[in-house]
Amino acid sequence: MSQAFSDIHHSFNITNSFNTSPDDKSEILAWLSPLEPWMRHQGIGSQRVDSIGAWLLETREFRRWHGSSTEGGSIHATLFCDGNPGVGKSYLM
Amino acid sequence: MVSLIGCDNSSLVIDKLCDEARKEDTSVVYFYFDFVARNDQSPVNMLGSLLKQLVSGLEKIPEVVVQGFREQRKGVGGRGLQISGILKMLQTITARRRTFICVDALDECVPAHRVVVLESLKQILQVSPNTRIFITGRPHVGSEVERRLDGAATFILIQPTEDGVVRYLRNRLEGDTTPEVMNSTLEAEIMRSIPETNSETYVETSARERLP
Repeated sequence: MSQAFSDIHHSFNITNSFNTSPDDKSEILAWLSPLEPWMRHQGIGSQRVDSIGAWLLETREFRRWHGSSTEGGSIHATLFCDGNPGVGKSYLM
Repeated sequence: MVSLIGCDNSSLVIDKLCDEARKEDTSVVYFYFDFVARNDQSPVNMLGSLLKQLVSGLEKIPEVVVQGFREQRKGVGGRGLQISGILKMLQTITARRRTFICVDALDECVPAHRVVVLESLKQILQVSPNTRIFITGRPHVGSEVERRLDGAATFILIQPTEDGVVRYLRNRLEGDTTPEVMNSTLEAEIMRSIPETNSETYVETSARERLP
């Protein structure tokens, strides 16, 4: 009961500051996009079998792409992993 | 101080990047294209989602975002967000901090949107030498990625390895919810025959399973 009351009280406060502060962070974040990709992300994380595909992290291509020496333009900023449907690309990402 | 959404129990590459992000001033953001959700996954929403993740991980909301938000409030109706505005905000933030942008299943993004998304990513890279982009997709979008990003992409072909298939099968058998219908002969047969089948067939089988 007191928990419910404090929840109501809490949401009242949020609403209140929402009105007084136009730059409320959650309002701005909601404005930026309605999409929540972390839901799909969580699903993938919970189904992934550990260390499958770890070879990718050891490739020269990945290491160069990921390495911190970035400026100078010699390193490609994009890594494109192509593969047929079902090979597990989403789990690698 | 960086907070990352979805860094626990994550996918392989994002996991690795998050490890690094904890040490350095780095952001990791991601997006999953899904053909079923194509109507919601417009370029504005997709790029906005990357921006949203970037901003939510920062301690303070960047001025360029606050300003954009205030200007939009003066207008009437709608969210008032356009690609150009989002791009400007993304460019301003990524120009200052190391950022990894991960995009899954680019082939599931409708072609007209794909053009806009790739062009936007290119424009981010142009002003942000510390930004890295990781994209997965079926082979047929590869040429588009290469062309739209001015050849600034490295390609890696993803194929199932025998070791990976064995480990995956073992994991699935261990998590079998109906173990009573499994016996050791059948299990041995599964562990022998499936990894033996060439990867091409394996791929086709998985593809068929995924179709509605």
